Amino acid sequence: MSSFAYAVPKTKDEALALLNELGPGGRVVAGCTNILPDIRAKKITACTLVDISRLAELKGINVRGEKVTIGSLTTINELLHSEIVANHGQVLWQAGQRFADPLVRNRATIGGNLANASPAADGVVPLLALDARVMVASLAGEREIPVDAFFTGPGKSVLQPNELITGVSFAKTTTMKSAFIKFGLRKAMAISLASIGLVVGLKGDKVDQVRIALGALAPTPLRARQTESYLAGNTLTPAVVARAQEIVRTEVKPISDVRASQEYRLHLTGVLLKRAFEAALA
Amino acid sequence: MELQKEITITVQVNGRPVTAVVAPEESLLEFVRNRAGVTDVKCGCNKGDCGTCTLVLEGQPVKSCLVLAAQANNKEVWTVRGMAADPLMQALQESFATHGAVQCGFCTPGMLVAARSFLAHHQQPDREAIKEALSGNLCRCTGYKKIVDAVAAVAASQASARD
Ligand SMILES: Cc1cc2nc3c(=O)[nH]c(=O)nc-3n(C[C@H](O)[C@H](O)[C@H](O)COP(=O)(O)OP(=O)(O)OC[C@H]3O[C@@H](n4cnc5c(N)ncnc54)[C@H](O)[C@@H]3O)c2cc1C
Ligand code: FES
Ligand code: FES
Repeated sequence: MSSFAYAVPKTKDEALALLNELGPGGRVVAGCTNILPDIRAKKITACTLVDISRLAELKGINVRGEKVTIGSLTTINELLHSEIVANHGQVLWQAGQRFADPLVRNRATIGGNLANASPAADGVVPLLALDARVMVASLAGEREIPVDAFFTGPGKSVLQPNELITGVSFAKTTTMKSAFIKFGLRKAMAISLASIGLVVGLKGDKVDQVRIALGALAPTPLRARQTESYLAGNTLTPAVVARAQEIVRTEVKPISDVRASQEYRLHLTGVLLKRAFEAALA
Repeated sequence: MELQKEITITVQVNGRPVTAVVAPEESLLEFVRNRAGVTDVKCGCNKGDCGTCTLVLEGQPVKSCLVLAAQANNKEVWTVRGMAADPLMQALQESFATHGAVQCGFCTPGMLVAARSFLAHHQQPDREAIKEALSGNLCRCTGYKKIVDAVAAVAASQASARD
């Protein structure tokens, strides 16, 4: 007999009640693109699979005023087909194009990408650059967590076993410029060696607002806050960009692994920053 | 709320309802091959990397090793075999044959399903777009060029048929 059990709640509230009851023995299942390989690799064992994939309440992309809200079950492919995302959250749309391959994009959800908490997550890096908030629900109620405060380490976040990610929200970036660059060893399906998401607003020739997010360069995806504050109010001359490249290299904590050395990744960080500005302002 | 160790599901496979009892962690790939006996869908890696298990679930091409069988309950799936009468699929199959895009053939059913889904929604794709559309499907034999040639030829004849 299988060591797993399965439940398919009909509403979000039913799912929350069940997760509360199961505690660490419960496991939310959305697109399953992380979970099934993890089960096969025995990284996930004996638990109750709580299948939320049919909950319409967790789907959909909406705008109200200046705010864009995306349901956690929204797939990467749905993001790519959304005018709202393409016009008001461009960096997320750009990242969607570099996410896995078209088949995986039909299943992979944005909520699953957040909960999985990979330092390289291609859905998370753009959300960081959008300064997004993660909406989380439990029986006790709802809370909102800035994406920046959501992750605590590789595969780890502040999400509790009795909690469900219901969606993400961010302020429109309609008038700002964006870029997402993923540097991998192969074009499709490759895990990022490093990635960058950039959102920048100019006033005249000066940087008015800028948000820089980096993937796979530290134990969690991260914002390059010092680089951002150096750049704010500055004009993007070659000297300023060169200084920003130096600063950004001090903000990351890359590892050496089979795919690349630490020194290489440090070098890459500066290169990606420059290329991201070039791409965004082209 | 009921916790199930064995789940009875019914899936429409190539237009035929198939009912079976599945385990919680059973994949749609296992269901389609072992329970429904539809074996044109192949298991190359069982972890989402190769695309040999590609089928159409609710109108979209997906890797069936990444879907729980239970998630397909009361839904519809289609494989190459079920598309035998579809003109676009027929054109692709012929084109794969004439372009030498099939060697061992293991990747072919998945490639065909991915290519058909793509061409059904894209009028005049260039080679780059075709490559991107097939980027989730690996082939160890052909080096991809002949596969892209085969798909590009069908795309071109679709375009000229519309003119
Ligand atoms: C071949 C392949 C290529 C890939 N390429 C990429 C890539 O390029 N970039 C990238 O970032 N990722 C990639 N991935 C990883 C994966 O596809 C993504 O992380 C995806 O977004 C996960 O979403 P899911 O819905 O499939 O999650 P699931 O597998 O369903 O769940 C993943 C985790 O999140 C939890 N979870 C899911 N939804 C919720 C929720 N709403 N609330 C609380 N917890 C939840 C689950 O319990 C589980 O722990 C790839 C995977 C494969 C197999
Ligand atoms: S068997 Fe499903 S992708 Fe390889
Ligand atoms: S023809 Fe052999 S894997 Fe593609």
